[in-house]
Order: sequence, then structure tokens, then C-alpha cells
Amino acid sequence: MIEAHDLSRRYGDFTAVDGVSFTAADHEILGMLGPNGAGKTTTIRMITGFLPPTAGRVTIAGRDLFESPTEVRRHLGYLPENVALYPEMRVEEYLLYRARLEGLAGGEVRTAVGEAVERCLLEEVRHQIIGTISKGFRQRVGLATAILHRPGVLVLDEPTVGLDPKQIISIRELIRELGRERTLLLSTHILPEVELLCDRVIIIDRGRIAAEGTPESLRRSWVGNPNLRVTLKEAPAAAAAALQELAGVLAVRSGAGGPGSFVLECDRAADPREEVFRAAVAHGWVLLELALEAPSLEEVFVRLTTHEQPLEAGSAGSTGSAGSASGAAEDEAGPPPPPPPAAGSGSSEVPS
Amino acid sequence: MKALRATFLRELRAYFVSPLAYLVLFFFLLYNGIVFTAVVSVLNDPRSGGTERPMDQLFQGFFFWIILCFISTVLTMRLISEELRSGSIEVLMTAPITEAQVIVGKYLAALTFFCALWVPTVAYAGIVARSSHVDWGPIAGGYFGIFCLGALFLAVGVLFSALTKSQLLAAIMTFVVLVAVLFLIGLLDNLFNGEIAKQALGYVNLFGHMEEFHRGIVDSRHLVYYGSAIFFFLFLASRALEDRKWR
Repeated sequence: MIEAHDLSRRYGDFTAVDGVSFTAADHEILGMLGPNGAGKTTTIRMITGFLPPTAGRVTIAGRDLFESPTEVRRHLGYLPENVALYPEMRVEEYLLYRARLEGLAGGEVRTAVGEAVERCLLEEVRHQIIGTISKGFRQRVGLATAILHRPGVLVLDEPTVGLDPKQIISIRELIRELGRERTLLLSTHILPEVELLCDRVIIIDRGRIAAEGTPESLRRSWVGNPNLRVTLKEAPAAAAAALQELAGVLAVRSGAGGPGSFVLECDRAADPREEVFRAAVAHGWVLLELALEAPSLEEVFVRLTTHEQPLEAGSAGSTGSAGSASGAAEDEAGPPPPPPPAAGSGSSEVPS
Repeated sequence: MKALRATFLRELRAYFVSPLAYLVLFFFLLYNGIVFTAVVSVLNDPRSGGTERPMDQLFQGFFFWIILCFISTVLTMRLISEELRSGSIEVLMTAPITEAQVIVGKYLAALTFFCALWVPTVAYAGIVARSSHVDWGPIAGGYFGIFCLGALFLAVGVLFSALTKSQLLAAIMTFVVLVAVLFLIGLLDNLFNGEIAKQALGYVNLFGHMEEFHRGIVDSRHLVYYGSAIFFFLFLASRALEDRKWR
């Protein structure tokens, strides 16, 4: 169980984290999302006791982190964003050292290392020098370090960075398994990972919690109007204007698939697919594609963390716009994140 | 305590796989060669008519002090600054260990390696003892003096290592400060012949201490002096490491 109460952290005049409160329950995987520079890592460092907060409190497994720091850290496993190990040590040697550092004794040390090696799939590099193994293996050594002493609370900052797809799958399985046994705080910017693994999500932006809930509830309350993807053969000149006229279509943007591709922003209540089809028949257009886009968590993320910059048509949630979102997040003069819109009125918040 | 022991053992082992340790060993062997030559030449010089304490060569002279500063610098420069630079400090300080334990563990590892360096030189005394009379008391005193000075210099090195991410900067600061302090003490020692000044300087006169040590005089005032100075520097180092949190 992790409880963060009103955590704030200032660096000089800059407020990196401003009044963040959340709770991660036992056997729960809590995801933490946010653009770069939003205060994720600072928040995580305060949770793990690496950085003291300027204000606020952290309790882990019911004990205050600042009243009994060494005691609390025994219950805490941490994989930092940049896994820094001692390059001159061998993998097993390093894990043995970490186990002793965590206060395990005698026989426990070997058992714990053996178990961590097995769970993190490190058997083949067990006797290699850390400086010579790949980034993926180093990442897994970091993960092994975090779970070595069987902590009740795990904090993982970007655990799958640098792994190949096969390794990602096995590490995600491991994370899911670990989440069943303990409290897990997972920071990531890989959105499918959040949807796949997390029971609950908090989205951090500019040092504040912008949204909180299950991935489903976030999608429901934050995604604005559905998008309809339409592709016409040979891009008729009048198509955009004609599509705009259809009932239930709020806006027409050009899509990513070339001149004949459009993205229609539709009214939530309406489903203009039939209208589009009839219009195509009436105008004699050849309809190549007609698809209602499922709202994604990426869209929620982009919507919540983009400030003052309009969304590029067709690139919602792509890495490009997530990047521009992070750029905007550093702009302190922008407006605060919008409040959750009431159902049906989300369109007012859409910068387009 | 377990955490301190784990840190100590890790650091000690790290010395044996680091190229720097071999650099230290190289210079140390070079120094040993010079000293041994000096010892033998003193013994062989017919004009000197023999010497009462041939092993004195081991504990004095320009090379002795320079090598002492050099070893202390190289053994400590990496200790904390490397953790700060690579970021491994983050996983270290989120383990159940305090800043003071980290500092003391690393310091003790450096001190142990330092002592291990000097052990083979005992052989020289053994060799000399076969052909000449050796008074073991002063030799033991001399080694004790090396231990005290080394312990003090290493504590200074640990402090500078905790102050910066850059090993090089830590090394330069440690070496410059140690040499400057020794130079200053030597200068003042020569300048002031007044009894009071001499006495006041006596408390911090490292040359004077060393001379007494290798005459076999171990004064409890000196022990208090080294003990409290080492404590002071290590305390500052531990505070420097804690200070990182607030920047």
C-alpha cells in the first residue's frame, strides 16, 4: 500500500510537483502516465525516499517514510528510470551484494538471488560482467534487484525500455504476476502497456494530477467526439465540403492516407456512416474505407496533456503529438488542465 | 550493520578489478624501490659509519609525503563521485542504508586497501634485520604513523569525492588541498621559531607527528587529534551526501 498525501517538490523557484495525492492499494497495479517533464520521476523519487518532498507525506505499508526511512525501504523495491549498476561486477555477484545490502542473511541470500535470476530470465548472463551485457539484460538485472528482497511495494519507472518485443512480453507477464502479489506503481509512457497491465491510472501533467481512474473510465469520460475515417478513391474536389454538410458531422479534416482521406469529427449521439455511404452513392464516389475509430487512451493522454497547441489531424496519440505535448507542458504560462467534461459536452475542450 | 558490511566488501573487491588500483600499485612499487635503494645506500656508505635507524628512510622525505598524498587521492576519488555520476546512488540510497553507513563502509574499504599496500614493505625491515640491528619499536611506531596519516588523508579524499560528480575534480581538489596543507605546515614550521608558535603548530604539525611516531613515541594527544579530524571529515562527507537531496 502506497499513500501519497499532498506531495510537493520545488527546485528553487520551479515547482516540479504540486500537491499530488494518490493511493495504490494492495494487489493493485497503479499506472502513472505523463509527458516528459511532468513530474513523474520526481514523484517517484519522493515515493522511494530518494528525494524528500518540500511538503507532504508518504506512507508505505502504513508507515511514514520520513519517520522510519530505513525500515520502510526494506518493504520497497525500486527500478529507476536509468538503471545504473556497477559495470565491473558480475551479475550474480551484484545480486548477492544487493541481497546483503537489503539485510537478508546467510541462506536467504542465495535463495533470493536464485529466485530473482529465474523470474527475470537472467540465467544465461548470471556469470557475466555487467559492463558487457546488453541494455535489455541490464534492465532485467535492475528489475531483479527490485524484487530480490520480496518487497511488498514495487515501484517501476519505465521497466520495458530497451527490451526487444519478446522480452517485453515476458517482462509484462512478470509485472502482471508481481502485481497480484503486491502493490505496484508503474510509470510508463507506453500507453498499450497501461491498458494491458494497470488496474488504475493517474495522469500527471505539470506537477499535478490531471486525471485518475480505471483505463475504461478515463476513456469514457475524457474522449470527446468519435472520429470517422473515410477514404475515397481519386479525391473528388468537392468531397470535403459535401461531407461537411452531412448530419452529425461537426468537422472535416484531411486524413493521413493521402488526398482522398478524411477524418470526420462526429457528434457523439450520431453515427453518420450511413449518411456517408448514401452521399458517396449520390455523388458517384468510390468508397475505399469507412471506419469508426475506437477512442484510445492515447487520445485521452494527448487531450489532457496538450496545452495551447492544436491537435494535428490524424496524428492524435502518435509519438509526434505526444512529443509536442511534452514541449507544451514545459510552458508554464499556459492554462491549467481542463476539468473533466460532462458527458456530451466534451467538444468544447477539443482544440482543433 | 549488514548494509555497512555489504558496502565495505563490495568497495574492497572493486579495488582489485579497477585499473586505478594497479596505477597506485605501480607508483607504490616505484616508491618502494627508491626507499629500498636509499636504505641500502645508507647502510653501504662508509662515510656515514652506519646509522642507528636505517628504516627511517621508509617514513620520511619528499617521496614519502608525495606518495602518501597520491595514494590517498587515487584511492578515494572514485568512491562517491562515481555513484553520483552514474546515478547508481539512486538504487543505493533507496536501499535500507543511511548516508553515514555508505560513507563509513566506503572509507573503511579504502583504508583497508591502503593498509594492504604497506604490508609487503615490512619485508624490508626483515631483510635489513638479517645484516644489521633493527629496533622494532620505532618501526612499529612508524607504521602506526603511516596508518594515522593515511586514515586522515583518506577521510579528506572521501569528503571531496562526496562533493562532486567528477572523479577528476575530486582528485585534483584532494591532492591540491593535501599538498597545500603540508607545504603550509612546513613553511610555518620553518618561519616561526618562537616557542609559543611552535607549540601551537605542534598540534597540527603532521611532520612533527610522524617524526615522533617513528621514534616510537605514540602520544595520546595525537590519537585524539587524528580521531577527531577523521570524524570531522567523514561527518562532513555524510552531510554532503545528504545535501544532494535538497538541491
